[in-house]
Amino acid sequence: MTALNATTSNVPLTAPLSRAKVGMASLIFMESAFFSAFLVTYLYYIGKSPDGPQPLDCLELNMVLINSVCLLSSSITVVLAVRSLARGAMGAFRIWLAVTILLGLEFLLGTGYEWWGLIEDKGLTIQSNAFGTNFYSLVGFHAFHVLVGLVLLIGVFILSLFGCINPARDHQRVDVATWYWHFVDVVWILVFTLVYIVGRVPQGAAA
Amino acid sequence: MTPDHDKSKAERLAERAALAPRGPSEMPYLRAIPQPTPWPILAAFGLTFIFAGLVTNWMVSVVGAAFALVGLIGWFREVFPHENVEAIPVADCEAVLPPPVFEPRPAKSPRNVVPEEIHPYQSGFKGAVAGAIAMAVVAAGWGLIDEGSFWMPINLLAGTVLPSVGDATLEQLRLFNGGWFATAVAVHVCLSLAVGMVFVVSLPMMPRRPLLAGGLIAPIIWTGIAWATMRVVNPTLEEYISWPWFLGSQIAFGIACAAVISRTTKIRLQVGRSFESRMGFEQTEGDSS
Amino acid sequence: MQWAISVDHKKLAMMYIGAGLIFFLVGGIEAAFMRLQLAQAGNEIVDPATFNQLFTMHGTTMVFLVGMPILLGFGNYLIPLMVGARDMAFPRLNAFGFWLFIFGGLLLYFSYVGADGLYGAGTAPDVGWFAYAPLTSRTFSRGNSTDYWILGILVSGFGSMTTAINFIATILCMRCPGMKLMRMPMIAWMMLVVAFLVLVAIPILTAAQSMLLFDRTLGAHFFDPETQGSAILWQHLFWFFGHPEVYILILPAFGFVSEIMPTFSRKVIFGYPLMVAATVGIGFISLGVWAHHMFVVGLGPVLDSFFGATTFLISVPTGIKIFNWLGTMWGGRLQFTTPMLFVTGFVAMFVIGGLTGIMLATVPMDWQLSDSYFVVGHFHYVLFGGTVFGIFGALFYWFPKATGRMLNERLGKWTFWLLFIGFTLTFMPMHVSGALGMPRRIYTYEVDRGWEIWNLISSIGVPVQMAGVAIFLWNVVRSLRKGEVAGDDPWDAWTLEWSTTSPPPDWNFDRIPTCTSARPLWDRKHPEDPDAHYE
Ligand code: HEM
Ligand SMILES: [Cu+2]
Repeated sequence: MTALNATTSNVPLTAPLSRAKVGMASLIFMESAFFSAFLVTYLYYIGKSPDGPQPLDCLELNMVLINSVCLLSSSITVVLAVRSLARGAMGAFRIWLAVTILLGLEFLLGTGYEWWGLIEDKGLTIQSNAFGTNFYSLVGFHAFHVLVGLVLLIGVFILSLFGCINPARDHQRVDVATWYWHFVDVVWILVFTLVYIVGRVPQGAAA
Repeated sequence: MTPDHDKSKAERLAERAALAPRGPSEMPYLRAIPQPTPWPILAAFGLTFIFAGLVTNWMVSVVGAAFALVGLIGWFREVFPHENVEAIPVADCEAVLPPPVFEPRPAKSPRNVVPEEIHPYQSGFKGAVAGAIAMAVVAAGWGLIDEGSFWMPINLLAGTVLPSVGDATLEQLRLFNGGWFATAVAVHVCLSLAVGMVFVVSLPMMPRRPLLAGGLIAPIIWTGIAWATMRVVNPTLEEYISWPWFLGSQIAFGIACAAVISRTTKIRLQVGRSFESRMGFEQTEGDSS
Repeated sequence: MQWAISVDHKKLAMMYIGAGLIFFLVGGIEAAFMRLQLAQAGNEIVDPATFNQLFTMHGTTMVFLVGMPILLGFGNYLIPLMVGARDMAFPRLNAFGFWLFIFGGLLLYFSYVGADGLYGAGTAPDVGWFAYAPLTSRTFSRGNSTDYWILGILVSGFGSMTTAINFIATILCMRCPGMKLMRMPMIAWMMLVVAFLVLVAIPILTAAQSMLLFDRTLGAHFFDPETQGSAILWQHLFWFFGHPEVYILILPAFGFVSEIMPTFSRKVIFGYPLMVAATVGIGFISLGVWAHHMFVVGLGPVLDSFFGATTFLISVPTGIKIFNWLGTMWGGRLQFTTPMLFVTGFVAMFVIGGLTGIMLATVPMDWQLSDSYFVVGHFHYVLFGGTVFGIFGALFYWFPKATGRMLNERLGKWTFWLLFIGFTLTFMPMHVSGALGMPRRIYTYEVDRGWEIWNLISSIGVPVQMAGVAIFLWNVVRSLRKGEVAGDDPWDAWTLEWSTTSPPPDWNFDRIPTCTSARPLWDRKHPEDPDAHYE
C-alpha cells in the first residue's frame, strides 16, 4: 500500500472542466439536434403546399424584424448583465437583466401578436396546409424555448431581488444559465433565415 | 504484503474485518455525497402526468404541472445556494469499510502476446507442392477407379474457368484435351500456392495441433463451402462429382501441406519495428542476431 | 422509500437493471405468445389484431424499456466506480432520468387499459415499433393507442437524454487524478460515445414524435400523404434515430466484452488505441447509414449506393473490434467462467449478425430480403446474441461487486448453454424461412409454403430459452441469500471498481484513487512490473 500512496502525491488534483459547463453544452447540443429535425423538415416542405394560404401572402417582415432585433439585442444585454455580476455591480446586473427580460417578453408578445394576425386575418392555422403545419411547429417550438429561457432569467432576477445572488459565488452559474439564452438566439437566426427569407417563395401552382 | 494466496478466501476476509475500526488519524476525510431527496421523482411524476393528460383528461395535466412545479422548486432549493450534501465522517459512521486487500499474485500469462510468428514463406511453397501432388494422386485415383479415366478430374477442374467444358459430352470429358489440361494445371497450381501461403500465416495461430486444423478442419470447412456453391461456380463438376472422394482429396492436400509446413521452424514477424530498423538502416536492441 | 428518494448512482443503477429485467420478462412473454401462434401453420391462438399489438409492444419494450435502461443502468453503476468518482456529475438529474424512464414505461403499458380503441376496450399500440406513416394517422389508427406509444416513448426518451448528459459530464469532469482519457476503461469510452449518440438520435425521435402527435391531435399535415404530408419523411426521421439507436444498444455491450475478455484471458486488451478509434469511428459513421432500412422505398440508385457504401464502411471499425478481441484472447490463459462464456458467445453470434447485416446492406439482396424473417434473424443475432449476451455476461461479472456475493457458476453455465442453444434454435431458422420468402409480422401462414419446419424449430427454442432465464432468476434469488461471499476482487481484475469493497459504500472510495495506467489495479498488484512502464 505504501508504495502506492507515494504515487498519489505526485499527481495533481485538478478538475479540468466544470461539470456545469459540460452539462449545459451537452444540453445545448441535444436541443440543436431537436431543432435540426424541425429545420430540415421545414426545408423539405418549402414549396410543397400549393393549396391554402401562402408564405408570400401571409408573412410580413415589419413585425418580425422588430421581434428579431429585440431578441438578438437581448443577447448583448445579458452579456452585460453577467459582466456586471462578475464585477460585483448588483445594481447594473439587475438593470441589464430586467432589460433582457423585457426584450424577451417583447419577442414572445410580438410573436403572439403575429400569430393572432395570421390566424384571424390570413386564415393560416396548423391545419391549413403543409406550410401552416411547419410554420407553427417550428416557430412555436422556438417560442416555447424562449419561454423556458425567460422563466430561467426571471428566476435569477427574483433571486437577485431577494439578495440571494452572491456575485463571487454565483456569477459562473448565472453565466452558464445564460448560455441557454444565447442558444435560443442562435436558433432564431436560423429559423428566421429559413422561414422569412428562404421560405418566402411561391409554392408551386395553386389549385 | 505477505504472500498469502494459499489462505482461503474466508480467512482473508476475516483478517480484513479484524482490521476494520481504524483510528481517526487514518480518517482525514469527510465524505460528501448528496442527500436523498424526493424532489426529482416528484418532478418526473409531474412531467409524466402532464403528457398523460393529453390522452386522458386535461385535469391530469393540470395536476401534473402542479407536481412538476413543486418538484422543480424543491429540487432547485436542494442545490441553491449550496448543494445539500451529507457529510459522513467515516470514523463515526457505522460501517467502516476497511481498504481492500490485494496480495500480489504472480502474473499467470504474458502481458501481451500477439500472433507474430509464422513459418517462412518458402515452406508455403514446399507445402503447396506436396499438397498439390497428394491431391492430384487422390483425384486421379477417383478418375481411374470410379470413372475409368485419368483425364476426367483434370477436365472437370478446367471447367471452373472454361465455360466450354460445360458443353462437353461425357465421352469428351474422358479424353485428353491439351487446352483443358493446361488450364487445369494452372488452376491447380494457383489454388495450391494460395492455400499454402494462407497456411504459412495461419497455422501458427491455431491452438497446438496444426495437422488437425490445417489437415482436417480447414478442408472440411472449405469442402462445405464448395458443396454449397458448386452449382454456381462449376456446374459441370457438380454434375459428376463424388463428394466423399472430393473431401478425401482435400484432406490429402491439407495433411500433406500442413505436415510439410509445420515441420519448418517458425520465424518472428517484425511487428512493431520501424521501417528503418527493419531495413537495417538503424540498429536497435535485440537486433544483433 | 429509501430507494425512491435515493440519488445514489449505484441504487439507481440497480433499479434500472431490475426494472429492465422485469420488462425483459414481459417482453419475453409477448414474444412467447407470438412464437406459439406461429409454431404451426394456420394456428388460431391469438387473433390478428392481438398479434399486431404483441409484436409492437415486444419491439418497443425490448428496445426502449429493456435494452436502453439496462445498458444505461450499467453505465450508471460502472462509470463513477471505474473513473474513480464518488457519484455522477448530477446525482439528482440522474434520479429524475430514472423515474422518467419508469413512468414512461408505465404510461406505455397503461395503454392496455387506457387507450380506447376500435372496440371500446383498452388496446395496446399496434403499429409496429417503427410506427410507419400513414398507418399511424387518425384514419387508420383509431382511439388513443398510438398516442400512448408516442407519449410513453417520449417521456422515457427524456429520461435517456438527461442520463446521457450526466454520462458526458461525469466522464469528462469527474475522473480521478491520473485517469487520462486514454487510460479510461473501454466501458467509459463506449458510454461516452453512446451518450453522444443518445444526444443526437433521441431528440430526432422526440421531434418526429411531436410532429406525429401534432398530426394526430391538432390535425397537422406532417406525415399523412392524403393531405400533402410525406410518409417517407417519417421513415427518414425515424431511421435517422433508429440506426444510431441500434448502436446505442450494442456499444455498451462492446464495452462489457472489452472489460471481461481481458480479465479472463489474463492479458491486456489488444490494441486499446485502435479500439478507441474504432468506437469513435462507429459513432460517427452510424449517423450516416440510416437509409439502409429504406432500400425498398425506392430512393433511387444514387442514394441506395451511397447508403449501401456507408453501411459497408461501418463494418470496418466493427471488424477491427472483433479482431482486437480475438487478439486479446490469443495466447492468453483463458478461464471459461460464466461471464467469459457469455462474451465469447457474444463475439461469435455478433459476427454472424454482422455478416447478415452486410448481406442486407447489399441493395439488390435487400430488395429480396427486406421485411422478411431474414431481417428478424439478423437483428436478433446482433441484439440477442450481441446485446443480451453481453448483458448477461456483465450481470455475472459485476453481480459480486454490487451485492457482495457470487452468482453460482454451475447454474450460470446452465443458463448460458440453455440460452445459447435456445437462441440458436429460435433465430437461426429465421434466416431460412426469410430466404424462403416468409414476411415478418404476419400472424399466420398457409401450409404448403415450406415454412412449417423452420417455424416449428423456432418455436421449440422458446421454452429452452425460458428455462435458461428461469434458472438465472433462481440463481439470483439463491445467491443473494446464500451465495459464496465474493470479497472485493473475486476475478483478480484490473479496473478501479474492484479496488473498493463489495458492495461499495455510498461514497464509493474511502480515498479517491489515483490512476497510474490503463490498468490501475494491475499496477497495485504488481509493483515490480507495472503497466505504467509500457505507456
Ligand atoms: C455490421 C454491422 C451491421 C450492418 C451492415 C447492418 C445492416 C442492416 C440492414 C441493411 C438492415 C435493414 C434490413 C431491412 O430492413 O431490409 C438492418 C436492420 C436492422 N439491424 Fe442491422 N446492421 C448491422 C449491425 C446491427 C447492430 C449492431 C444492430 C443492433 C444491435 C442492428 C440492429 C438492426 C435492427 C434492429 C434492424 C431491423 C430494424 C427493423 O426493421 O425493425 N444491426 N441492419
Ligand atoms: Cu441500421
